[in-house]
Amino acid sequence: MDRETNRPKKLGFRPSKAPNPSPSSSSPVRLRPREEAKRDSTSSIHERRNPVLDEDEETGSPIFSYLVGTCPDMCPAKERQQRERLRDLSVFERLHGDPSRTSPKLAVKKFCRTMSNAELQEVEIRPLPVLRSTLKYLMNLVDTSDQPFEVVHDFVFDRTRSIRQDLTRQNILDDEAICMYEEMVKFHIESHKKLAMCYTKTDLASLCYLNTEQLMKCLATLFKLYDIHRRSSSLHKNEAEFYSFYVLLHLGGKIPQMGSSLSLWYRKLTLSILQSNEMRFSMTLIRYSRLGNFKRFFTRLEAEASDLQLCLVEPFLSEIRARAISYVNHSGYKLQPYPLKHLSDVLRIKESELEELCHVCGLETTMDEAGMKTLPVKQTSFSLPKLGLPVHSLSTF
Amino acid sequence: MPGPVTAWGPSIPRWFTWLLRLLFLLVAFLISVVTFFFRRLPVSHRSLPPSSSIRERSLGQSRQEPFPAMAYLSMGEAHRRITDYLSRFCDAVSSQDAATLSALLAISSNFASLQAPADALNVFQDSNQLVNQVERYAQFAEILSPLLRCLQSYRLGRYSDAYVAFEKAANAFLQEFRNWETAWAMEAVYILALEIRLLAEKADRELSSSGKNTEKLQGAGSFLMKIFGALAGKGPKRVGALYVACQLFKVYFKLGTVHLCRSVIRSIETARLFDLDEFPVKDKVTYMYYTGRLEVYNENFTVADQKLTYALMHCSPNKEANKRMILKYLIPVKLSIGILPKQWLLEKYNLMEYNEVVKALKTGDLRLLRRALREHEDRFLRSGVYLVLEKLELQVYQRLMKKIYVLQKQKDPSKAHQLKIETAVKALNWLGMDMDMDEAECIMAILIFKNLTKGYISHKNKVVVLSKQDPFPKLNGKPVSS
Repeated sequence: MDRETNRPKKLGFRPSKAPNPSPSSSSPVRLRPREEAKRDSTSSIHERRNPVLDEDEETGSPIFSYLVGTCPDMCPAKERQQRERLRDLSVFERLHGDPSRTSPKLAVKKFCRTMSNAELQEVEIRPLPVLRSTLKYLMNLVDTSDQPFEVVHDFVFDRTRSIRQDLTRQNILDDEAICMYEEMVKFHIESHKKLAMCYTKTDLASLCYLNTEQLMKCLATLFKLYDIHRRSSSLHKNEAEFYSFYVLLHLGGKIPQMGSSLSLWYRKLTLSILQSNEMRFSMTLIRYSRLGNFKRFFTRLEAEASDLQLCLVEPFLSEIRARAISYVNHSGYKLQPYPLKHLSDVLRIKESELEELCHVCGLETTMDEAGMKTLPVKQTSFSLPKLGLPVHSLSTF
Repeated sequence: MPGPVTAWGPSIPRWFTWLLRLLFLLVAFLISVVTFFFRRLPVSHRSLPPSSSIRERSLGQSRQEPFPAMAYLSMGEAHRRITDYLSRFCDAVSSQDAATLSALLAISSNFASLQAPADALNVFQDSNQLVNQVERYAQFAEILSPLLRCLQSYRLGRYSDAYVAFEKAANAFLQEFRNWETAWAMEAVYILALEIRLLAEKADRELSSSGKNTEKLQGAGSFLMKIFGALAGKGPKRVGALYVACQLFKVYFKLGTVHLCRSVIRSIETARLFDLDEFPVKDKVTYMYYTGRLEVYNENFTVADQKLTYALMHCSPNKEANKRMILKYLIPVKLSIGILPKQWLLEKYNLMEYNEVVKALKTGDLRLLRRALREHEDRFLRSGVYLVLEKLELQVYQRLMKKIYVLQKQKDPSKAHQLKIETAVKALNWLGMDMDMDEAECIMAILIFKNLTKGYISHKNKVVVLSKQDPFPKLNGKPVSS
């Protein structure tokens, strides 16, 4: 629409170069002299619209041509100096703990929303090899750091967002990008579980929400990358599993909505994905959860879930278990309290944890003559607590 | 008596007059022959830039031109056709003739009648100047110039260019429309809304087949919102808003950005501008169909039932295809509230994919339901009713338990209300479903929780004690409680 008439300035146009009255000014003013040389070989890429970017809000405005980054470090020198001056350094970036000194090996570029790309310079964008090593460094940090997890998560969350920003600005859509996005999705899934484990801290609830939001954004971009990949070759080897993550997210009640329901999302999938084992597995789990067949739900989950799938689902298990408890409470026989041991077997949870869950939901537990813990049924005090439920992992038997 | 020729001068011999007549006829014949051949001459021999027109023609042919080869026109004829089109447009506007105006704008939906001026445009390349030179046309130059460009591109099969030009023309037309006080041109606006969508779809198809990004339909959506904005408000132009809303729905459904429908629906339903009764029934049917579908996706079955039933009731009797589309979504909704369609309905509207589902619900055959879902999985997923149909499993379980109960009652009425869990397991195993005691108990618990069964479970004795009165209540038009 407006794009036709609103021809953008070519990126990287630096007014400071204008005073040079050399013959190079005979070339169109819009183009930077350096960019002209690159144009011939990469002009086809530059002129194509980026399908991935259109909905990526992180870069703000749509891009019309792409930069090729030249920054050699994890953080551009200019930003390093600026942040040293402002003492805006994360605890991981400080040299010997000094909040005003950092080094190229420690500083990582921050995420920031820019309104237009006219201000960007190529030396501020990191090229693909640097992005790869940056991501590796960050993932390593997650595994090895002894800082509390929330702090690590917050740092890596922000810095990976910046990596994604650089990737889209350079229109990197190939297998390398797919690999990196998959790594980032893995990070978010593992964080999803680790953050949920500390449910009692109220500020973590918003952290969990934001993490899930970023997870969904990563997945959305990753799916677009898979689409592009599929045009030239067959399914990517991890594609089915990552699609199944999106489905499994719908087991949780409070996930941020991606705009349309699961029914509508299924419409867009290709047959090959829908028929893959991972998708079948996740769609079946959703079915069992919606029907309330918790017995099958847990047996199937235990039997077939991959590590990452389990990681993703475990924070949702408490809600499913709580619902199961409410069914049992509602349908039981008043004079016969329900044995917790049996219920804990079916729900794949430790008996003590089940007892805790009952109490959190407002239900009492008692002991029968044989010393076994039981749940008196037909209690009217059942309610799901607002603050969230404790997360218990899957206990296998 | 001597003829008129002889009355004037000296008497001319009769053979001379005959010779004159013969000569006259010969000359006339020669002239007609020459003009006949003249028309037959290829266009490039005319005084036009030859290269472009040849190139265009050959390009058009290699692009598998959808229309027959361009007629060979003279410059004069081409000029006449274009001015004819332009005059008709201006006449229509000045006499407020919406029907004619619409016909002139219906590029893709009525191209047959516009082919003549379209051909002319590829001969007479200077239409812009023509528009600007004549005062009468120049006042609508912003509309007419891009419109002519659109016609020209469409004729050559260049749909992407045609779309871009049409959008410009449409924007300009909308501006004019805003200034006209009455809604006389509403029919033209309808055509505009329809065309922008159709042209965008064609353009996107063209773009995707050449590997480029498809963005035109999105643009069409934005333009439709503009039209919607122009119509929303007090005044007689309101009546067209529902039609435009329906075009928007079609665009959003096609693009997969269905969540954008929400803002349109909010404008129509909650803003107090519109009273649904003032819209034509045809538009209301389409509107209810799309909003009903949305309710199905969100599993609000009661509302979906109301909307889709309205659409079905008020759908024109001869539009069988439309009825089928409505039923495709209405049937799962009805099933979810416990109402089963008759076999003849499924047969009449060719919706036999629901046949086994209905049978399974009638007989309590879970295996049949699962098989039906597997067999038509692709179709159900594409239409988005798969999750709705999956949920019917609970009703099938209920039916099966009721059957067992009825059989038990026949055998021994006093003990009928005690349903051993073991019996349920045996029945399901007999049906080919692999089930154990725990799972059967689980299913019974959920049936009781959702009020599909009345009673309680004695876990210790492994038996379900059913209520003596109406242990399996029917749904009676209400969805299963959640």
